[in-house]
Amino acid sequence: MASYESEEIERLIDGKLPWSRVQEIMREAKDPDRFDKWIAVLQSRVPWSERILLPLTPCLSIVQKQAERVVKCRCGHEFGDYRVNWKLAALIHVRETREQLREVYRGREQPDPAWIQIREYTCPGCGAQLEVEAVPRGCPPDFEFLPDLDTFYETWLGRRLPDRKANQDRTLEVVRGWSAGEKR
Amino acid sequence: MNASVPNPERPVHGRLVENDRLLKETGHLFGLRELRRKQENPGSYEAIWQILQNICNTGWTVGCKVSSSPIATEGGDALWALHLPTGEAVCTSRGITAHPGLLALFVRSLIELGYEEDPGIAAGDVFENNDPHYGGIHPVDFDTAIPIFHRGELVAWASAVSHANDAGYIVPGSIGFMNPSVFGDGVPVTMEKIGAKDRFYPWYEMRIRSRVRTPDWVMGDARGRLAGCITIRERVLEVIEKYGRDYFRDVIQEYVEDSRRYAVMRVKTQAIPGRLRKSNFKDLAMAGKRVLLPEQDVDCLFNLPLELEIDAEARLRLSLQGASGWVPFGENITPTALVSALLNGYSHVVGFDMFNSGPMAAWTLDTPPEGSWANPFPANYFASSGVAWAPAVMWMSSLYEAFGRLYYMRGYVEEVAAGAATTMTAEFVGTDQYGNFSAALALDQASNGSPARGMADGENSAWCIYTPNGDFGNAEFGESYQPVLYLGRNVEPDSGGYGKFRGGLGHTAVWMIMNTPGISYQCGCAGIRSKIVANHGMFGAYPAAPDRPSYASGTNLKERIDARLPLVHERGDPEAPDLAVHLRATTLEPDLVAPFVTPEPLHEYDVVVHPISGAQAQGDPLERDPEHVRADLSKGWTREWVARQVHGVIAAQDPASGEWTVDLEATAARRDEIRRERLRRGVPFRDWWSAERRKIQASEGMHPAVLQMWRTSLAASPGYAAELRGFWQLPEDFEF
Repeated sequence: MASYESEEIERLIDGKLPWSRVQEIMREAKDPDRFDKWIAVLQSRVPWSERILLPLTPCLSIVQKQAERVVKCRCGHEFGDYRVNWKLAALIHVRETREQLREVYRGREQPDPAWIQIREYTCPGCGAQLEVEAVPRGCPPDFEFLPDLDTFYETWLGRRLPDRKANQDRTLEVVRGWSAGEKR
Repeated sequence: MNASVPNPERPVHGRLVENDRLLKETGHLFGLRELRRKQENPGSYEAIWQILQNICNTGWTVGCKVSSSPIATEGGDALWALHLPTGEAVCTSRGITAHPGLLALFVRSLIELGYEEDPGIAAGDVFENNDPHYGGIHPVDFDTAIPIFHRGELVAWASAVSHANDAGYIVPGSIGFMNPSVFGDGVPVTMEKIGAKDRFYPWYEMRIRSRVRTPDWVMGDARGRLAGCITIRERVLEVIEKYGRDYFRDVIQEYVEDSRRYAVMRVKTQAIPGRLRKSNFKDLAMAGKRVLLPEQDVDCLFNLPLELEIDAEARLRLSLQGASGWVPFGENITPTALVSALLNGYSHVVGFDMFNSGPMAAWTLDTPPEGSWANPFPANYFASSGVAWAPAVMWMSSLYEAFGRLYYMRGYVEEVAAGAATTMTAEFVGTDQYGNFSAALALDQASNGSPARGMADGENSAWCIYTPNGDFGNAEFGESYQPVLYLGRNVEPDSGGYGKFRGGLGHTAVWMIMNTPGISYQCGCAGIRSKIVANHGMFGAYPAAPDRPSYASGTNLKERIDARLPLVHERGDPEAPDLAVHLRATTLEPDLVAPFVTPEPLHEYDVVVHPISGAQAQGDPLERDPEHVRADLSKGWTREWVARQVHGVIAAQDPASGEWTVDLEATAARRDEIRRERLRRGVPFRDWWSAERRKIQASEGMHPAVLQMWRTSLAASPGYAAELRGFWQLPEDFEF
């Protein structure tokens, strides 16, 4: 069974491994200890101590924070309960005019702002661009991934997390609260 | 895949029913809890797999050589496969991997429809289908199958598919986006026995000759399909003689179950259980263009939503809830064809080992909303599937990003792929340089950039979504069958989006029309976006630009050639394209929204500039290695303003040597400045949500195509509608 040194996995993640070696890794059966080494590498790179349960993107991870599981940026900024789309706690910038689009797309490379808006989600802590959406007005933000963390850890990895959580999307609860606040 | 009640007069049908029962009861295909032949002798198991795969590839080689059309002979846009008696694909040739699922379902349908009894299935028979109502995807893809009998027993099938140049669509050519209904979809071959004794019936060829515009190419390709199938049959019979019929019967079942297990295990060991959602959209802007019927004078936007759930057993459930309504163009697809398209996507991102029908038992696809582009017949039984791939491949592109995200979370960054490129086709229809009528698909579209990886850029002009064997053929070959000369075939700068890792870049073909009294340029949609960009801003990247072709007719190109002045070899600056800078023309269209057919024929010295897209990027563009930006600048693959403005890289070019150097200190400062600017201009999501919902309620700034898309999406998918209204806190009876 394949297994790689953590240093090599770091070089792989950073795009520093020669392509010929990457191809060898791709051809081999996968290394079953990758997830643990992956988490260890990411944990060593952040300035905070909460345990990473699952990396979502290069910037964001779900971490264990006391009894809660929250989404946290590598810079330390927290976005709240992992069952709520983290985008609701991000900064957003929308390009929906030709002038705004021209900073990224010029001339024939520009989409039509009457059809589509470009939504940029930024971490309020560090200014990292976390996700970009290109969708027509009316499209709710994609909640890209709601993991079943308990099944993943208990059934797939054979370990238990400190406590179980009901695996339900709670995004609508938050917007209902916003709506109630507006009505008040 | 529900078979009806077993019938003793139909033994293969009985086996099919039994197979379905065994899968349901045991979770294993054919009830194979153990792979006995594999366990007994893994060496022979592997060796015979290789032999069968080589046989299929031999079928491909023979079939392509016998074929006539450039698509098959030079582009290899065809596929041959070996099947179980009940239809499941066992192994396939190289070529267009989008089709094994369709071919498998085609053979299965022959069994389900009772063909064992009537018309009967005998050695030497030839069956064919291209009808979407009975499992085909679109009529230019002809699916052919022949049974393989060994001493009187049906032991397997050989099959083939190739993409014809013309199937008699209402508009010449093979990319039937303009087809308004099934009545424009050309010549049907509906689950037919088209030959016996290894020969076509005469009336098959008579029909092809009276109903398609390029009958020599279409019949040549039909002979190619049959020749490849016969090649497979004869070689397979040799294998059976050598290794025994019992062994062959067992082992071909085990290959399919083995592949199912591989797909399940790959998900379980490399992905994460949970729910993944990815929106995507596709435009078809036809209002004001030359169309066939009044109802086609309309702009359409497709909603292509993907929801993917992985359960504790690593089973996948896919859903298209929210898909928008059918369209009066040839861009609808049936659920059957969609399942096969899904197998293609799955083969790229999940199942790489033994490519066959196995993974189809590892997932379920919810029946798409009735009346949607993905299930049109309940609402319109005559909806066209002229180029059914168009929305399907755009939807499938989300599958790449979805699995890219799953692999990333698990740490397998080397398996990550961002979203796919698009497929904008070019067909030249009219009189060719030999004086013949021609409807010829350029091969350039078969070679896009590949998606960004988790740790590297994608590759340029190396891949396309419907086949990993992307091949755009030699330019000289293209010039031999179309009345054009290439003025350029260049890497298109910045066509792979902007991110830490960019997508592989596409290329632009520049054609000069030559040696024809007149020919039309059909810029087709086999899955493009021309008004919008894809929703593939993975991990903070910017999606690749829309597909925008251009052309000029009545030009002064000959004068410029005679005067040895600069010609048009590439697209040039997006705000000052070379076409407009260098040419004077009666009609000058430097920035067109695709798809379209040129309203007047093009003539000698007219110019077409046809870009083939790159794929999608991933990651914050500010995290791109400045050295990668410098390398791209040096090759002309990115532009200085993009380096500075999007990647925050400050670079300068030495006027003498042309070499670029990066100022790392200035780059760091520029990147900090951009991050501060993001924090300054970004607003809390809640504030934006509050303002945005009011704009939605007022339909503010919403194009009619957007409104119509939402109306049909919400009408066909009540659950999706409730969630969308809930997110924006709109009244329950709110309509767009």
